[in-house]
Amino acid sequence: MAATPIPLEVHNIKKRFGDTEVLKGLSLSAHKGDVITLIGASGSGKSTFLRCMNLLEQPDEGELLVHGESVRFKQAKHGREPADWKQVVRMRARLSMVFQSFNLWAHMTLLENVIEAPVHVLGKPKKEAVEHARELLARVGLAKHADYYPAQMSGGQQQRGAIARALAMDPEVMLFDEPTSALDPELVGDVLRVMRDLADEGRTMIVVTHEMAFARDVSSQVIYLHQGVVEEAGAPGEVLDNPRSERLRQFLAPKH
Amino acid sequence: MDALLERLEGLLADNSIFTLQTLSYYGEGLVTTVQLVFLSLVIGLVAAVPLAIGRGARRPWIKWPIFAYTYVFRGTPLLVQLYLIYYGVVFVEGIQESWLWVILEEPFVPALIAFTLNTAAYTTEIFHGAIKATPRGEIEAARAYGMSRALMLRRIVLPSAFRRALPAYGNEVIFMLHASAIASVVTIMDLTGAARFVYARFYAPFDAFLFVAAIYLCLTFAILYLFRWLEKRLLAHLKPAGG
Repeated sequence: MAATPIPLEVHNIKKRFGDTEVLKGLSLSAHKGDVITLIGASGSGKSTFLRCMNLLEQPDEGELLVHGESVRFKQAKHGREPADWKQVVRMRARLSMVFQSFNLWAHMTLLENVIEAPVHVLGKPKKEAVEHARELLARVGLAKHADYYPAQMSGGQQQRGAIARALAMDPEVMLFDEPTSALDPELVGDVLRVMRDLADEGRTMIVVTHEMAFARDVSSQVIYLHQGVVEEAGAPGEVLDNPRSERLRQFLAPKH
Repeated sequence: MDALLERLEGLLADNSIFTLQTLSYYGEGLVTTVQLVFLSLVIGLVAAVPLAIGRGARRPWIKWPIFAYTYVFRGTPLLVQLYLIYYGVVFVEGIQESWLWVILEEPFVPALIAFTLNTAAYTTEIFHGAIKATPRGEIEAARAYGMSRALMLRRIVLPSAFRRALPAYGNEVIFMLHASAIASVVTIMDLTGAARFVYARFYAPFDAFLFVAAIYLCLTFAILYLFRWLEKRLLAHLKPAGG
């Protein structure tokens, strides 16, 4: 029996902006059901690393495998770029991203946002997509908001809507880029609750976050990045409760 | 002010100017104006969409010619453009012998060409600005969800940009209506042309132009109303909840 392919693997990713090397050879494998949290100070490269995984940033070096399929690159004028954009579209459809600032499409209602990519990228019949979207909106507590435009909703509602949009793709891996950082404190809880539910049902997730309680409770693996290298990685109990390096100890120390 | 009222009173009491005959001149002028403005706006709009996309292209051989075109047509008076095209057509080699001359001989077509080129240039810049103002995050989301460049343009960038451009484009439509008054200098009997004719015939400039001003006002109201309706429908997403 053939093993099911690993949803997402990256090997030795390097990325530079001008003269600064921001990622100095990072690797990670997300097996089915893994919840991997990336933590680190701002500027540690955690968001850039996440954005390299769906090629919103082009890694200068390293390998990227989605569902066992290696992304092909070619050398272009300004560095490396994907050789086959059709392949990129295919791999992106397997990965859904949730952004810090939600990035819902402002001219569409919430329902239209959720069905947009399933219908126009995956080619799903509209009726089916709408039914699925309504289920997902109910799941994230927005059943009554289907016809709202993003500007008519709070940040927390928009972010839960964005999670519904991500789920509508039936993704193999969900990428979260600081999903609660742009929210008012009282709205963070609702979004985290939805994310905990997803983790509980066995979704594969990679989460860049500053929410240590979430990282501790939900992750299968915590990766602490510092200046583009993995400083510590392991089970949340090890990394968060028994940090080996002084730097991580300081990072985790309560700030006053 | 009193003098104005007196004149209006006289106009109503002793009306020898606005007979059925002169009103029919205005009527024909209205049709010509609407045709000229409507056609140039429609053709200009259709041309402006690809031009605006090309204007934001990375390749210099696409971007720069379009910029040069919009710069020239926005940088010179419409009246001068009209003269250049109206008198310039004659210098095209062999044009007077070709079948095209039948339509080009009429002033309507050169005026239509001038107006179309002018409004397409302005509309290109309006759309280009609106496209450039697409929120970066929305484009990023489109890429992250696997949209190709063409799909993203069709589904995200253009629908979003058209809505943003709507108020500015409404102004352009009104501007074109008013600018079309200069068509009368190349002998077109548009609304202003009709007013000039009535003025010359009765030597009543005030009456003739006051009447035509009222017609332009009505047309402007209709355009304003149309765009307000469109904005209400298409810009609903910018309004807060419960609005």
